[in-house]
Formats: sequence, C-alpha cells, structure tokens
Amino acid sequence: MQKYLSQENFSTLLEKLIASGKRVVAPKLNAGTVLYEPLKNPAEIVIDRMPRRSGKEAFFPICEEIISYGKEGQKVTVTDIDPARFPETVLVGVRPCDAAAIPMLDAVFSWDYRDEFFLERRKKTTVVGMACTEADDACFCTAVGLSPGDPKGGDILLTQVEGGGYLCRAQSEKGEALVAAHAALFSEPDGHKSLPLAEPQTEKIDLQKVKKWLDTNFEHPDWDSIATRCVGCGACAFVCPACHCFDIVDEGTEKSGTRRKNWDACGFWKFTHHASGHNPRDLQPKRYRNRIMHKFKYYDDKFGQRLCTGCGRCIRLCPAGIDIAAIVEDISKK
Amino acid sequence: MTQPIDTSIYTAVTDAIRTEAARILSDGTVTAVAGYAAARRKGSSQPIVVSDAGNADKLIFTAACVNNLAVYLTKAKKDIPKSGRIGVVVKGCDLRALVGLMGESQLKRDDLYLIGVPCAGVLGSTIQPATELNTDTIAPKCLECVERLPVGCDFVPAVTPPPAPELEKKYASEIARLEAMTPAERWAYWKEQFSKCIKCYACRQVCPFCFCEQCLCDRNRPQMVETTPRPAGNMAWHIVRAMHLAGRCAGCAECERACPMDIPLNLLNRKMAKELKELFDYESGFEVLECGPLATFTEKDDQSFIK
Repeated sequence: MQKYLSQENFSTLLEKLIASGKRVVAPKLNAGTVLYEPLKNPAEIVIDRMPRRSGKEAFFPICEEIISYGKEGQKVTVTDIDPARFPETVLVGVRPCDAAAIPMLDAVFSWDYRDEFFLERRKKTTVVGMACTEADDACFCTAVGLSPGDPKGGDILLTQVEGGGYLCRAQSEKGEALVAAHAALFSEPDGHKSLPLAEPQTEKIDLQKVKKWLDTNFEHPDWDSIATRCVGCGACAFVCPACHCFDIVDEGTEKSGTRRKNWDACGFWKFTHHASGHNPRDLQPKRYRNRIMHKFKYYDDKFGQRLCTGCGRCIRLCPAGIDIAAIVEDISKK
Repeated sequence: MTQPIDTSIYTAVTDAIRTEAARILSDGTVTAVAGYAAARRKGSSQPIVVSDAGNADKLIFTAACVNNLAVYLTKAKKDIPKSGRIGVVVKGCDLRALVGLMGESQLKRDDLYLIGVPCAGVLGSTIQPATELNTDTIAPKCLECVERLPVGCDFVPAVTPPPAPELEKKYASEIARLEAMTPAERWAYWKEQFSKCIKCYACRQVCPFCFCEQCLCDRNRPQMVETTPRPAGNMAWHIVRAMHLAGRCAGCAECERACPMDIPLNLLNRKMAKELKELFDYESGFEVLECGPLATFTEKDDQSFIK
C-alpha cells in the first residue's frame, strides 16, 4: 500500500505524534552533531545528514539502569526497573542501513536469553525508515547485499519525491496502524515521482568466500598487517548499528547504588581481561580479528546472516583510517 | 572567504620520503619505517609500517596524513616490533610529542630515525578524505603552528613550506570566548558537549602521552572514575584527561580529530597550555627537557595560590 505524504503533512504527522505523548526520535542537531534524539518539535528533524551514531540506541541505550539498591541499617532493598514504563516510541528518518540492523539485534536479544529491556522497547517502537538519495565513498550497503531503498527492518519506508514530500509504504501491522491512525494526512500516490536513490560506488562482495576464508584462517599472518594500525578505541563498535556488546557495572556507595548496562567494544584491551590477569586477546590484532570474525563468521554461524549493513560509519570515523569494506573485499579475493 | 591552500610541495615531500626510506631500510640503518600510505577511499591515507625497502614506494605524504605516528611507538602500543632502530615520518606537531616522550624517558633518541615533513598543513577531519585543503578545512592547530619545518630530525626533504595563511586563530578566539563566560555558562557549555561522549576512549587511544599500560579510568577495584557514559563520569574523565596532559600535551590535536562525537577536546588542552605559558613560561617544543614544568620546582614558581 503506497501513499503520498506532503512535506507539510509530514510535519503535521510529527507534531501530532509528539502531542499524543509518544517519544518521537529522529536525527537532530545536538551541540553541532546530528544524532537520533527525541524531537521537541518537527522543525528539529535533519534528514539530509547521516546521524553520527546509529538508531540502535532507541532500543539499546548507551547506558541504562537495570536495578537499584539501597541499604539502611541491616535492611537491604533492591528495586527492579519496570519495563512497562518505557514510552511508546516512533523512530523516524531511519536510514536503511540502520533499519536493517534492527532485526540483527532482535535475533541476539531474543536468542538464549530474552532481554526484556531491549524487547520491551522494541515492541513499543514503530520504525519509519527513509530511503537514501545520497551516498559517499564510505557507504557500502550494496556490497553487503542491501540497498539505499531497502525496506528491511522498518515498519514504514519513506522515499523523497520530486518537488517535496514522500511516498510512504507501510510494510507491517505497526506501520499500517500508524498510517490508518492519521489517514487524513495521506493521499493517493498518483503522479508523484520518487527522487533517484543513492548509488554507492562499491562492488558486491562475495560474503560466502569471506566466510570460507574466515572459517579456516583464525591464525594467519595477515591479521597482523590488517590490524596493527588499530589503536584500540571503541569508536567503530559504538557508531556501528549492529554491534551489541555490553558491560554491566555496579556504581554507587555502600548505602545506595545502581547496576548499569553500558555499551562495550571488542577493541578494548579490558574487554577480555580475566580476573586472573590473563588476557586471551593480549594484542590488538587479536582484538581486531574478533571484530571481523564476529561480523562475518560467528554471527553467520548462529543466525545465518552477517552483522554488517555497510553504513560506513566505522570507516569514516576510525582514527587510524581502518576501512572494513576494503579489508573484507581483500579477504573475498584471497 | 574560502581560499585553497597550496600543497604542491607534498609531491616532492613524498618522493623524498620514499627515497630516504628505501635508503635507510636497505643499508640497515633502520628495521622499519612508520609512515603513511594511500588507502581505498579517494584521497585517504592510513598509517603503515614498512620493513622492506621494496615497499618504500607505498609511502606518501598528503593533507590527509593526519595521524600522529608517535602513538605507535609508546608502551601502550606494544604491538609494533621494537627490534632495532625505527624510522618515523613526523610533522612538527608530531615531533613535539616525540620530544616530550623522550623527556619522560619513554623513548630514546638513538632508537629513532626521524624523517621530518616540511608541512603546509593537514585536514582537520578525514571523515571525507577527498576534501580539498583550504582555509575552512585546514586543521585549526595548523593556523597556530609556528614550526612548519621540524628541527633536529635525521632527514628533512629540502623543500620550503609555504607561509601559514593569516587567518583567525580558532583556538585562541574560542578560548577567549569561553573565558569571557560566567562559570555557570562555561559549565553549561561543557555539560552539553560532554553529553555527547560515548566513552569510546578514542581521545585516550590516539594520545601519545596516554601511555599508561592500565588507565586508572579502567580500574574498578577501587573504581576511581565512573566508567559509565553518564554526565558525572564523562565530566570526570575529561577533567582527568586535561589535568594529566597539562605541561605535557604537544598540541597535535589528535584527541579532537579522533573524537567521533565532535567534542572540541583540544580547547581544554590549549587552555592548560596557556596557563602553563603564563605560570611557568613553558611551551612544548623541540628541545628534550628532563623535567617538565609540573615535575620540577624552582623558587621563581608562582606561589600566589598559597594564602
């Protein structure tokens, strides 16, 4: 079901959603940087710049409280977080590479353990994607089997049309419900022509060949040359739409405190540092190898797909200029 | 108005680096040369360690060669082989960091073969590496640079860098703007900036002076600084970082370039450098000091804070 949504009605829709008390998260400027953040008014949305971080934080916050505790005399109280208090959310303007990562996270967070924090937020969120009309040379969604107009992971996909406004395709019950609830804002799509979509300049990578090489080359001298330049920060994992490792820490005093869940990254030295003092990934190449292995082998072994959507954020932002698209392409040619 | 910056010297600089690297690798002066190589994206570069003279022609120098390679020679980065003397390509700002590390007994001059770069400036951001170097895209540090020709290197290509463009010094004017604020306004400014911090520690990992093998911010027994990316922990981390770098920071601004959240971290370092200049007449330079300004006491030191 395709509908037309004018630019004006798009703003009205956002306004109505905000007014209804929903948390409307969309790309907006925050101290000079575009991030997915809750909108206060529709004018704040920025659709022509890719957000620096991905949309995953709408379900998987950088830091969240999971329990709190208090102690008075001999009395200890532990308070659970009630996921029922998580707000109904509409995540708007999500890039196809960010939306495609959401089902990847769904698989992880509902696999051997159902993460109620993630899943409750996920259940309460409607994802409104936005097809890309521009790509730079770090974009490689097409190399990993996606595309700038890919509807994967979204409930609605918006595509910009010539002269302003959007073609709107609802592709799930949640999406249809949102359109139906604001039916007066949508009209028939007749005559509206979508803007040409972006064309990332990367060639399709043979991911089966990549996996085959990874299956048998855990130990290989090339890991050193691939990863020696890695400085061991967490920038790549933290801007990645699909990376999902976290750490749990207790912070507070003897009298009161909080248990928090924070993003973690396999590039960090302390990520695999054991209490004994031993670190099985003692050198940076072993840590970087894990990044590639997890994305293109381990995740595939478990869930039958890759853990990379080709958004290119890690390429743009790596302080050491590491280019995962070039590395994976090289592996595919080995 | 945006003006292009002349980087034509970089062709000759690249040729000279390649010739010199091939020479010192083949005659056994060094076992490896750390420099820059072109990467996949148009205009991009990445650090490379060349240990075979036949690969010396991979080395380049362009306005996208932003990294301070000194970081790869520090204790925290043990992965780079340290057998024998290492050649390293350095801009003036990178050299000041190496000199600081020598002063802190982290490196020995005799273990290094320094290839200095006559520098016309580099990009402030390499998110889009094909960007032309101009008066808008040049790194702000380059506008305040007085050392476009490194001093005390083993080899510097015989090329004269063009004079720096006469432009507003962005750090100086931004620090003046912040100094003019009330403490509450300044607090609000940094609170907003640090709210973007995700504790990825890119600022720490690219810093040549963050060479601790275990950062106190990674410790949890006891926990010195909240590790969580929340306002209190973020503020604490950035204050710890600024204070630990006072009197040491060489101004390479890698922290600021590496920050994926665009936090203007070098402003803190420049402010500390300004204080050090005023209080101790100290500036990071090309001369190895055995005792940095905060590691020594003289009777001339300002003591007005003792009431």
